[in-house]
Amino acid sequence: MEWLRLIVGALLLIIGMCIFAVEIFGVFRFKFSLNRMHAAAMGDTLGITVSLLGLMIISGFNYTTLKMALIVVFLWCSSPVSSHLLARLEVMTNGKIEKHAEIFYSVEELENSTEETITDYREMEED
Amino acid sequence: MSRLKSSEEYSRTKAFKFFRWLGGSKDPYIDTVESRHPEEEKYTDEELEKIDEEKRLSREKAYDLGQNKYLRAFECAYKILAALFCVFFAFVLIYNVSYLPPSGAAERPVNNEVSERYIEKGLEETGAVNIVAGMILDYRAFDTLGESHVLFTATITVLILMRLDKKKDEKGDKADRASRYEPYDVILQVAAAVLVPVIMIFGIYVILNGHISPGGGFSGGAIIGAGLILYLNAFGFEKTERFFTEKLYKRVTFGSLAFYALAKCYSFFCGANHLESGISTGTPGAIISAGLILPLNIAVGLVVACTMYAFYAHFRKGGF
Amino acid sequence: MLIQTNLTQVETVTKYFFTGLLIFLAIALFFCLLRAVIGPRIVDRIMAVNMMGTVVMVMIGILAILLKEGYLVDIALIYAMISFLAVVIITKVYMGIYRQNKEEDGKERE
Repeated sequence: MEWLRLIVGALLLIIGMCIFAVEIFGVFRFKFSLNRMHAAAMGDTLGITVSLLGLMIISGFNYTTLKMALIVVFLWCSSPVSSHLLARLEVMTNGKIEKHAEIFYSVEELENSTEETITDYREMEED
Repeated sequence: MSRLKSSEEYSRTKAFKFFRWLGGSKDPYIDTVESRHPEEEKYTDEELEKIDEEKRLSREKAYDLGQNKYLRAFECAYKILAALFCVFFAFVLIYNVSYLPPSGAAERPVNNEVSERYIEKGLEETGAVNIVAGMILDYRAFDTLGESHVLFTATITVLILMRLDKKKDEKGDKADRASRYEPYDVILQVAAAVLVPVIMIFGIYVILNGHISPGGGFSGGAIIGAGLILYLNAFGFEKTERFFTEKLYKRVTFGSLAFYALAKCYSFFCGANHLESGISTGTPGAIISAGLILPLNIAVGLVVACTMYAFYAHFRKGGF
Repeated sequence: MLIQTNLTQVETVTKYFFTGLLIFLAIALFFCLLRAVIGPRIVDRIMAVNMMGTVVMVMIGILAILLKEGYLVDIALIYAMISFLAVVIITKVYMGIYRQNKEEDGKERE
């Protein structure tokens, strides 16, 4: 039983470490800051969730496990909000953002836009 | 004013001068110390432009990296030397750390008879499972009172330095900067409405469990202060002013500090000689145990939370 | 780090596994720091510091299990709160200052 718990937990932890590795790779790979932020925000939330799940399985059920679950719930609430604030800061302060991304200031604008008007920014590099 | 002497006579006595100095009705520097404002330099606009142009030219010459070879060499050397210094300093520190005795070893200098006494008799004498709480709030309670007063004094100093004048307030210089330039965010507000109660409850848990688990007044108060600051950021000053005013701050802080001092005064007057207080220590591990440590923790936590919030509000807005 | 004897087989394997994980996370932390130093925009720097916070939280969780001290998880929770608060305040203040400067520049040009 102990071995089973260790193996399952270790697998989850290794998956979490892989997510962190992918996150760091993405942070260094992308050329535009909003893309980098996307990689970091996704990796943060998923990586810590999977890692703490593995730790919870290894430690067994006690108060420590409950506190770890509380950390996961807290991060699920707070991490998207901080990413949203950071994205807003970037959109506001970056003067050249129109070069890299298309900005819709309201929902109606986004709904009215067609597929053709959306340009492909993948090949462009940040100057 | 003396009745025995006339007013002219009285004005020559030392008592009159002393009371005049005490009341502050006469500035001792006026008419006794020579003080003159420096004369303002008068230039015409053309001369000013000429001076600015000269300054700009000379600055360009001095900081032109292409021309000034000395500057380039200096920048290069500066970077290399800074990196070398950092590496050298890190090496020295790591080398020194390697000489320290291992953590928990018997020959460490901290393991003397004081810590021995705390570890062996702490639980029995204070009733706190957390030895640190028993130490700072029972054996060394006077020290902690001083720490709380330091926080209070720091807040008062910031209040004096950062306080807004009424005149400036009317102009709306700094006070409504926050509300004018910083946008309200619906997503942040919804998240704060969920998270702030959780943070508050966690802070209260840390304070109330100060004598059982690690934590206590200082860390729990910091958590509650963080929750208050988050609420302030999400909803703005108008909402927090409804419940957190200067009056509340004064009452809470004074009340906490006075309660702390009064509750522990028997110990302070006896030179912390551990007189019998008559309060039972209870069963170790229960919430209501360890004598005075729990109420003292609550007092310290309130002071720390108010200090955190007051600092933030003063630096952001210049008032509560 | 751990002076223990009479470990069972499971505990020995767990100990070595956790030590390896901690080494990996330290390397990840270094790369996050690198991003914070070279990040061309302020968003990159704040985000890198946030990432470092997450990695440190996992490290604290691992340490709590490894040293069998459950209270260390409390510190991870406080860490999460403080890093969230830091991001909120830095972005708000920075946005406010940016907008104020922009408005004052516009007034001067007029």
